[in-house]
Amino acid sequence: MSGADFKVVLLGTEAVGKTSLMKRYVQDRFHPRPHINTIGAAFASKSVSSRGRQFVMGIWDTAGSERYYAMSQLYYRDAKAAVVCFDLSERVTFDRAKQWIIELRNHEEDCKIYLCGTKKDVIEDGTKARAISHEKVLQFSKGIGAVYIETSSKTGESVVELFQLIADNCELPSAKGKEESVKLQLSKKSETCCSAS
Amino acid sequence: MSSLYYPLNLLLCIVLIDFCLCFQKYEKVYHEQLNSGNITQKAQFEYAWCLVRSKYSADIRKGLILLEELFHTDKEESKRDYLYYLAIGNARIKEYNKALQYVRGFLQIEPGNHQVHDLEVVIKRRMEKEGLVGVALTGGIVLGIGAVVGLAFALAKKH
Ligand SMILES: Nc1nc2c(ncn2[C@@H]2O[C@H](COP(=O)(O)OP(=O)(O)OP(=O)(O)O)[C@@H](O)[C@H]2O)c(=O)[nH]1
Ligand SMILES: [Mg+2]
Repeated sequence: MSGADFKVVLLGTEAVGKTSLMKRYVQDRFHPRPHINTIGAAFASKSVSSRGRQFVMGIWDTAGSERYYAMSQLYYRDAKAAVVCFDLSERVTFDRAKQWIIELRNHEEDCKIYLCGTKKDVIEDGTKARAISHEKVLQFSKGIGAVYIETSSKTGESVVELFQLIADNCELPSAKGKEESVKLQLSKKSETCCSAS
Repeated sequence: MSSLYYPLNLLLCIVLIDFCLCFQKYEKVYHEQLNSGNITQKAQFEYAWCLVRSKYSADIRKGLILLEELFHTDKEESKRDYLYYLAIGNARIKEYNKALQYVRGFLQIEPGNHQVHDLEVVIKRRMEKEGLVGVALTGGIVLGIGAVVGLAFALAKKH
């Protein structure tokens, strides 16, 4: 059950809405509530179909708090896609997102980057102002070859689209490689005293 | 499309991190600091965070000792993180009653924390699977109250 075919990691400053994004996608739910910091990371998987393929996407929702910064490299290791999140109304979170992207580029060459501006509903209903123009972010993301998308976990806007795009763009290991990776997972699993299944 | 139920994967999220890699990274720092007689809470936490991922219960126990020490010495806002890993570590060495006490201590302070609720579900399922539910109930009552109240009290000061 642990065997995900494809690893996606969510990165970004605390409170930008990574956990909400994952919950919206995996459970199609949003709980409006005060922010609760994720501890370490959470993991969820979802089976997806794309271009005639059916596979399991494993999503790592990392903690944005500085305490876990040193560990983040271990969390995004071998990820094939990273959703780097920032809050559309908070400039500093965008600057932080840029740093994540540089880091990913340096450590995970094969990782596709999706830049995600979060909490679009807050901008649209006028509660808060946009901190950086859409054009600027788009230009930046084009420059680094990343996809840019704006989402709202509250309304659900563009959330499924984001993950579907990730699924559509992903290259799965070849059938043979896949078989091996499953075997590896299984043997790993029996080694650990703790596989929840 | 169907989704695997979220909680099932929670403990896995611990073991899916490559233990050897994190061990290399954090053990050295910790021991260097240990030798120089000045261990930072950061280094101790990172080392413990790694140890609870080990497949050897001796490592996990060592991690738990480090976490307990941090829990008692570090500032209030850090305690939730230590409690969480104390619960995970204990669950991994099958000290389920202890694990649940940490979970309940946590939930008394942050009742709305889904991550910890999910962890509780995972632990209980494990116990059911291993036929330990009855044991848990009595054990929980005997051991539980003092420890949980203590934790809750320690955490409550922050709120
Ligand atoms: N209005 C609105 N609020 C949101 C949205 N997404 C998240 N939030 C709120 O923003 C706060 C933080 O959300 P989280 O999903 O917990 O943030 P996070 O990035 O996981 O934070 P860390 O775990 O600390 O890294 C919560 O209060 C959410 O309810 C959104 O799309 N719209
Ligand atoms: Mg979170």
